[in-house]
Parts: sequence; C-alpha cells; structure tokens
Amino acid sequence: MTGALRIFVVDTGPLITLAVARSLDYLLFVDADIIIPDAVLHEATRDAARLGAQDIIDWVKAHRVHIEIAPTKAYEIYDAARATMPNLREPDLGERAAVEVIEEPDRLQGDERGVLLCEESAVLKRVVVRDRARIVELSTLDFLRILEAEQRIQSAERVFEAAEEAGRVASRVSRLDAQDAATRAAIRGLVKRRDGDDVP
Amino acid sequence: MDQRERTLLEAYSRGEMTAIELRRRLDGATYGEVLQRLAEAGLKLPRAPVAGREERIALARSWMFPHDRRA
Repeated sequence: MTGALRIFVVDTGPLITLAVARSLDYLLFVDADIIIPDAVLHEATRDAARLGAQDIIDWVKAHRVHIEIAPTKAYEIYDAARATMPNLREPDLGERAAVEVIEEPDRLQGDERGVLLCEESAVLKRVVVRDRARIVELSTLDFLRILEAEQRIQSAERVFEAAEEAGRVASRVSRLDAQDAATRAAIRGLVKRRDGDDVP
Repeated sequence: MDQRERTLLEAYSRGEMTAIELRRRLDGATYGEVLQRLAEAGLKLPRAPVAGREERIALARSWMFPHDRRA
C-alpha cells in the first residue's frame, strides 16, 4: 500500500450507510489507503446482517490491495470473550480499536495525513496531540459532498436517499443470527498482521 | 414505537442530537438499528451542518484532491 493519505474508517456508520446504498466503491474514489480496524468491520457486518453484511465482506475481499483490516488487541480480547459470552456487547469497542490503530507508532509517518471517516466519534479527542494537526474527522455525508464537488459522483444526497430506502426495506427482514459465526470467521480471514502475514 | 422514541429520532433527524447520544438513549442501539428505526418513523438521516464542518471539509478536500486549488 502506498500514498500520503490514509482513510481510517473509525465507526460503523460509513460502512453501513455506503453498503446499504450500494456505494462502498466510493471509498475507492480517493487515492488513499483505507484502514478499517477489525472491530469496526465486525460491528458493521454484525449490525448490517439484515442490511447487507455479505456485501461489506465481499467488497473488502475484492479490494484487498487498497484496504487493510487492522488487527487490534481490543477486538482480540472481545472475540475471545465471546466464546463464553456469545451475547457480549461492548458499545465502544470500535472506537477503542480505532484509537489503538491510529496510535500505532508506524501509522502516519513523515508527512502522511489521515482522514477519520465516521458518523461521529470521539476518537480524535483521544488521539495523542502530536498527530492532531494531520488528522481530520469527516462524516459520511461530508465525504460524499467532497466527491460530488470534485465531480466524482453525481449526488451525495442520492446516496443518503438510497440508504434511507434500504432502511425501510430492511425493517421487514429478520436478523440472521446464524451469519454471525461465519462473519467472524470471514473477518479473521481478512485481518492482516502488521508484518504482512495473514492471521490464521 | 412509543412517543419517547419517536421524539428522540425526530431530534436526531433534525440534527439536534448526536448519533452517540441517540444510541445511548435507545439503550445502546446500533447504527444499523437507528437507520431502520428512522425508516420506520418516516424520518430522514440528519443533514444539518455542525460547528466547524466547513473548515474540516476544506482541509480534507485539499488532502483528498491536492491538485484542486478550489478547496
């Protein structure tokens, strides 16, 4: 992966909104590496089970050159705990994982900059001061509006309308809990260790 | 959906409440659940501007598309 800009997807909102609007590819319209903490991917796919979790998994698999699923201790501990507590929920798991990833010493080296893509998040407040000057938080809608202004997409508003329409359709479909185990296994398969080896 | 939940969703839709606050008040609802509850209530995702947003957009745009001097 190369490039001076890195897009960190630090909460589930962007992935879910773009997935249900069938617009995940818009994340690739910027010349940047995309980093998704494993816990955020897990939460997004689990949350989106009735909205299109498989779409997110398939999209990540199809674009591994540009997308890194970053492993975190936070998710590793959570995943292990779920073996005995299947219904365990940690509301701030994704945020803790995101902070862990951003603060890794070899992230944002030199003049590299980071965009934190989030619906809203307190992540930036928790990132060490030295990195704040080269990190900016951006909502999904604002990300889309930049693409629209750059004439990379036709309409940011249309994406949100599609997400809202998907929400209406999804509300009539029951959650597919059986997908959870498969989703977790898929995430394990997508996680890349920092040394470049796949996590077994 | 009771009136309390609808009131909360309406406040979020108008941009008067953050998603984090809404999810907390809805007993830890996930973002996907918020999306679906908004749809059930016939409400839109919030579009309202937030403080400092224009500056963030300009900065992010200049990083995302550095060739573009309009940012």
